[in-house]
Amino acid sequence: MTGALVALGALVVAAAAGLLIKARSGRVRAGRDTAGRDAAGPPAEVLAALDPAAAVTLVQFSTTFCAPCRHTRVLLADLAERTPGLAHADIDLTDRPELARRMAVLRTPTTVAVDPAGAEILRVSGVPRRDELLAALRERLPAQASDLR
Amino acid sequence: MPTGVDPRGPRFTAWATSAVLVAVLVTGWWPLLAAQAAVFAVGAILGPRFSPWTPVFRAVVAPRLRPTEEREDEAPLRFAQGVGLAFALAGTLGYALGAPVLGMAATALALAAAFLNAAFGFCLGCQVYLLINRLSNKEVGTAR
Repeated sequence: MTGALVALGALVVAAAAGLLIKARSGRVRAGRDTAGRDAAGPPAEVLAALDPAAAVTLVQFSTTFCAPCRHTRVLLADLAERTPGLAHADIDLTDRPELARRMAVLRTPTTVAVDPAGAEILRVSGVPRRDELLAALRERLPAQASDLR
Repeated sequence: MPTGVDPRGPRFTAWATSAVLVAVLVTGWWPLLAAQAAVFAVGAILGPRFSPWTPVFRAVVAPRLRPTEEREDEAPLRFAQGVGLAFALAGTLGYALGAPVLGMAATALALAAAFLNAAFGFCLGCQVYLLINRLSNKEVGTAR
């Protein structure tokens, strides 16, 4: 009897957590001040990955053990190719827990949009929603980007 | 590149795993949990293609679904099966050694994770990989 109640409890908690994760996943969130956290500025890995010629670089943090990272990679690479002023980079965090800590990345994929100086604009956990992400970045991108979908 | 598995296979396995774990909790019969631990071990060590649920999926479920080009990497699935194995072993020891609270707690956690995967396609074991990695690498870098 107790066991049945425990099973029911586990299912209810998991369902609630699942709905919460689903609601949050892929949504655009405010950027964290990861660059200003210490005097060193943005991590060297981020500075090396970003495209200095692009107004915005989408820095995707992935791990080997992550299926949605592959979906995110395909989506963001396509988005960057179609959108002027937008670049995409992928950083594998599998063996870099220190970088994960500095960028405050708890789960993958997490996509951090940065300006050419490496300052964080916004971030998305999970597979980003294409239109929502573009809308949030529109004012940072060159004007013709708004003509494209 | 024929590597990778149909992502619906692991979802089916997650439903089957959830059902087994519910049965374990309701009956408290630890040999069933030990059997589930063995299934997790096969999935973690040999990979999901060797899971005993895979032939069931291929024979019963896959023919009713449309073929898909989508493929999923094996590595995250194997890692998640390994996490499941750890919980199933802890639960089995709990039940078998007369600590049913430990048995139930470990089984309930495994059930919650399996159900999240089955119903939402969210792989908890895969997602917390970073967290586990961070905790096991405490000595990396100085305190900041």
